Amino acid sequence: MSRVKFFATLRDITGVREINVEGVKNIKELLEILYSRYGERFRKEMERKNMILVNGRNVLDLQGYETKIEEEDEISIFPPVGGG
Amino acid sequence: MENYFYSLDILYHARGEFMYGYWGKILRVNLSTGKISIEEFEEEFVKKWLGTRGFAIHYLLKEMDPKIDAFSEENKLIFSTGALTGTVAPTGGRYMVITKSPLTGFIAMANSGGFFGAELKMAGWDMIIVEGKSEKPVYLRIEDEKVELRDATHVWGKRVSETEKILRKEFGDKHVQIASIGPAGENLVRFSAIMNNGHRAAARGGVGAVMGSKKLKAIVVRGHKRIEVIDRKKFISVMREKTEILKNDPVAGQGLPAYGTAILVNIINQNGLYPTMNFRYGQFKYAEEQSGEAMSKKYLKRNKPCYACPIGCGRVNEMDTIGETEGPEYESTWALGANLGINDLASIIEANHMCDDFGLDTISTGGTLATAMELYDRGFLKQEDLGDAPPFRWGNTEVLHYYIPRIARREGFGSILAEGGYRLAEKYGCLDCFMGVKKQELPAYDPRGAEGHGLGYATDNRGGDHIKAYLISPEILGYPFKMDPHDISDEKVKMLILFQDLTAVIDAAGMCVFTTFGLGGDDYRDLLNAAFGYNFTTEEWLKVGERIWNAERLFNLKAGLNPEKDDTLPKRLTDEPMPEGPNKGHVVRLKEMLPRYYALRGWNPDGTIPEEKIKELGLEEYL
Ligand code: SF4
Repeated sequence: MSRVKFFATLRDITGVREINVEGVKNIKELLEILYSRYGERFRKEMERKNMILVNGRNVLDLQGYETKIEEEDEISIFPPVGGG
Repeated sequence: MENYFYSLDILYHARGEFMYGYWGKILRVNLSTGKISIEEFEEEFVKKWLGTRGFAIHYLLKEMDPKIDAFSEENKLIFSTGALTGTVAPTGGRYMVITKSPLTGFIAMANSGGFFGAELKMAGWDMIIVEGKSEKPVYLRIEDEKVELRDATHVWGKRVSETEKILRKEFGDKHVQIASIGPAGENLVRFSAIMNNGHRAAARGGVGAVMGSKKLKAIVVRGHKRIEVIDRKKFISVMREKTEILKNDPVAGQGLPAYGTAILVNIINQNGLYPTMNFRYGQFKYAEEQSGEAMSKKYLKRNKPCYACPIGCGRVNEMDTIGETEGPEYESTWALGANLGINDLASIIEANHMCDDFGLDTISTGGTLATAMELYDRGFLKQEDLGDAPPFRWGNTEVLHYYIPRIARREGFGSILAEGGYRLAEKYGCLDCFMGVKKQELPAYDPRGAEGHGLGYATDNRGGDHIKAYLISPEILGYPFKMDPHDISDEKVKMLILFQDLTAVIDAAGMCVFTTFGLGGDDYRDLLNAAFGYNFTTEEWLKVGERIWNAERLFNLKAGLNPEKDDTLPKRLTDEPMPEGPNKGHVVRLKEMLPRYYALRGWNPDGTIPEEKIKELGLEEYL
């Protein structure tokens, strides 16, 4: 089982801070599941820019949407965010 | 009562050639003699230095020996606006305070938003150079051409909110803008801020303490002039275009307005570089409880933008205990929270409010308290050194409430803390307990999780600091594009140099660095060119940034900077691998990056600036 955590505005859409998923191969597959579960608003929020971490490491520094998800992995998903 | 020392009542002489963006006017205020005079500058000066930090470094290099003591009469305190300050350019309301820092012994250049900078420019002044020292407390009152030094005995000792209230009433105009110091600055706390609009701070480097050493309590200003640009129609159309970009940007247009900078708490924590307990760890168990999400839900009342800002990251929070307050920003939330192992958000907000009101830099306040906690934990600092005062135990919220006012008033152990973390660590025999660079406390990113940012800390002209080259943008947030935080190639080093130079341009333009979530080099070029009617390329503006950076470096070298000893990081970050989390096992490979940084800057291998570079940048006159 892997844990998926949502942050910032995504929480308003999902209504929850985190969910568990099972048997999901990679980030691409996970996103498809989330898009169908949480609908257009979620997709729109994610499409322009986002930050997806697998165990704290940005998928852009790994294999992008092809990054594999293993059992026990923690995935953190942020909408576009910044500050300073 | 004699409350009128010197007044200047002048009429503007019609200028032969009108200058756009600026008035070409500098107010020079000598507090030793009470003399106020006016100086002018020409357009060439703008082309060379652009504004704020750029203008100021010229005067500091020309007029004072960088070796002098920061609290001496010879130190100058410069308030400077930027090229677009007071115009309708997005976020064009900023000013900077530049002086020799009593904390680092090097250059201090602190930037603040709010409304003070724009008002100063609208009063007809581009810059104020304060020199000398007054014998008794004074404040500077500016109403367009009318400039006076007035007695400030009645507000000396007062906190920032009270000071603003009294001086505003005295002026009799609610639109007046005030930059003032609190008790911290008066008492020469080495990390004191200059505050405006209650909660906006020019904080880092202890600029407030220099103001205090000169017995200048405040500058009160009201202006009624409109700043002219060369082609108003064109300027407004460029302004609209850039504002649109910002509004449509997911961060500048949505993320920052919705959650403020504290949105970073969860992001940086999840990425494993949220410094916890004086940088021992990179993740804080209770980060969620003090996140931007939690703060917005529990306390947010409304947003509060600075002058001409379409982003509006500022937050007005409301609490039962203190009523309305502003902030804390991400940095302050961390400095007064996770870095001390403190998780109680209410205490953090109260502590931030206290720091603002007493006029303290929140980052250095937190960093100094964290140093004390480390010293205490490791037995260097003992309870008998503190007497009845609260123990410096990790997570002890009492530390915030008890010590912050005592630091500002220099009471009891607070007086030792008022010297900053470096001097505290030195006194108790553990310099490694201090997490800072060039004696200034580090901000809220553990560079073992963003190594380019670590090189930024080590080479920053004002010491431990994040905002003069925010490499967190590419390394973590993916702006303008994503770079691996552990890549230390030449590309990364070049990116840092670009960020340092570009930030100098943005500062000198009088704009907010948060516009970089949306705008790029060409956008700043467009705005500046439209205001002045120049056709500079982006590279030419960046050259101005490079000139500023090098001139500040020159100031530091003259002040005694030893690159080998000073362009460095605390041992914990270079020698102790991160113990856990996503960056487990990583250190900052500073030694591998620094020589390449010097080379790519065109400097000598020992970190000094070679003659050719000095010539290339037109800095010969400052040698
Ligand atoms: S982005 Fe925030 S700090 Fe910058 S000018 Fe706007 S409100 Fe002020």
